[in-house]
Amino acid sequence: MTRLRHGRGALALHELSTSSGPTLLLLHALGGSAAEWGELPAAWPGRVLALDFSGHGGSDRLRGGVYTPEICASEADAVLAEVGACAVAGAGLGAYAALLLAGGRADQVPAALLLPGRGLAGGGAQPDWTRGAIALLEASQQPPLPDGCDPQCAMLGSDPRPPSYALHFARAARRLLLFEDGGERPPWWEASRACAVAVGGDVRDVLRQLL
Amino acid sequence: MAAPTYPGAVEPQRESFVESLGLRIHVVEWGDPGAEALLCCHGFWDHARSFAVLAPLLADRWRVVALDARGHGDSQWADAYHWGAHIRDIVAVAGWIGRPVHLIGHSMGGGQVVDAAYALGAQARKVVNIDGFGPPPLSDEEEARTVERFTGFLEQRRLLASRPDWRPYAALEQLVQRRKAQNPRLSDEWLRYFVFHAARRADDGWRWKADPTLAIGTGPWRPDWIAPAYARLQHPLLAVNGSETDTWGPLPDAIVAPRLEGVRRLTRATIAGAGHFVHMEKPRETAALIRDWLEAA
Repeated sequence: MTRLRHGRGALALHELSTSSGPTLLLLHALGGSAAEWGELPAAWPGRVLALDFSGHGGSDRLRGGVYTPEICASEADAVLAEVGACAVAGAGLGAYAALLLAGGRADQVPAALLLPGRGLAGGGAQPDWTRGAIALLEASQQPPLPDGCDPQCAMLGSDPRPPSYALHFARAARRLLLFEDGGERPPWWEASRACAVAVGGDVRDVLRQLL
Repeated sequence: MAAPTYPGAVEPQRESFVESLGLRIHVVEWGDPGAEALLCCHGFWDHARSFAVLAPLLADRWRVVALDARGHGDSQWADAYHWGAHIRDIVAVAGWIGRPVHLIGHSMGGGQVVDAAYALGAQARKVVNIDGFGPPPLSDEEEARTVERFTGFLEQRRLLASRPDWRPYAALEQLVQRRKAQNPRLSDEWLRYFVFHAARRADDGWRWKADPTLAIGTGPWRPDWIAPAYARLQHPLLAVNGSETDTWGPLPDAIVAPRLEGVRRLTRATIAGAGHFVHMEKPRETAALIRDWLEAA
């Protein structure tokens, strides 16, 4: 595990496979960590890195209790700054962060695979006006996160994710694969389909399409 | 260096820290602690002493409490900022006050007190927003630059590890002049007082107290989310702006009026001869307006 400086803290970056070849960066779901990837790294013919987002796994918590998907994407971007271009695969929250990163750093992300997982939908297409701005920070509104995770990370499950916003990033991304298994397809995901390839089947096989 | 003075600016009578989401939020007060409370929230890059002239003009009747927003003044810095966290801080300070409060906010703080009133429900009584009606609508060009802005955010986050603080200035006067360039309507005398409390002195010079990362923000928020936030407000709202064009605002009424359209109990007022910093430029007129409106049934 490497400690990667980012902002005023440090992130835990795990090397799950040291094979030579193109690098794959894995971004976990809400409440997850680099430990959640199981056998998947073995299916990639190259180096595999997995990041713990801040507040998760071995990464520092953010002082002041604020977490956003954009911050998560900036943490993944810290990995790009360290190792250079990477294919990216993300699940749930990590899928949305992967979309932002694939759009914002199209020159360094040749392809991104978006997978289902916790924190995929966020808070929906627009703010929940009846609950107010503070609702985002009400961790108690969400199912509890695993021990060791900053409870404030629950706000990563209720941020608004407008389809029109997501579409900007999907358009900018070089190659976007959406893994669809019949589960939820939140509005931002639906919008991104216009600029993506929908894939299914065995995730290990799909990974190779990122090459 | 002795703290500068300014005519009408009164030292706060009490100072406290309130914890919110793990940060210490700095609070200052004027007036009788047993009196009905006004809670004041300043604008972006400002601090609680934004109210140092207005507050004493109301402190004969009210307990006037002003907070430093997180990342500003003497409140702690956060690793990341979010509008909802500011609201949580205001709610935390209102909880610390522990009794009904009227809310007064300027610019960023004006928008925040509207959301804070909604979050506080019945604990909040009346709301005063001084020229805090949000930025102009997004132009098509700005909309098209969404990803580009995000890439800029990524770049700034990368730089943060190597540049965690402001560079120092040899003299406080340099900070005063920087602020003067942005706020040409504010007098040098006021800015010397205000910037002194916005800056901290170290061995190598003067730095802003405000967290430089406050400027590093991004996300899906859009100005067209403002009107729905106002439309759910149940509290009486006094919406104040100055008559004079300034660096920021006032926005044309064609933009402000539709944003306020859904407010059920709305009073609008314009302070003649003031720009964006209404309560700093015309404190007596602003205090009289607020006093009359709060005391009216």
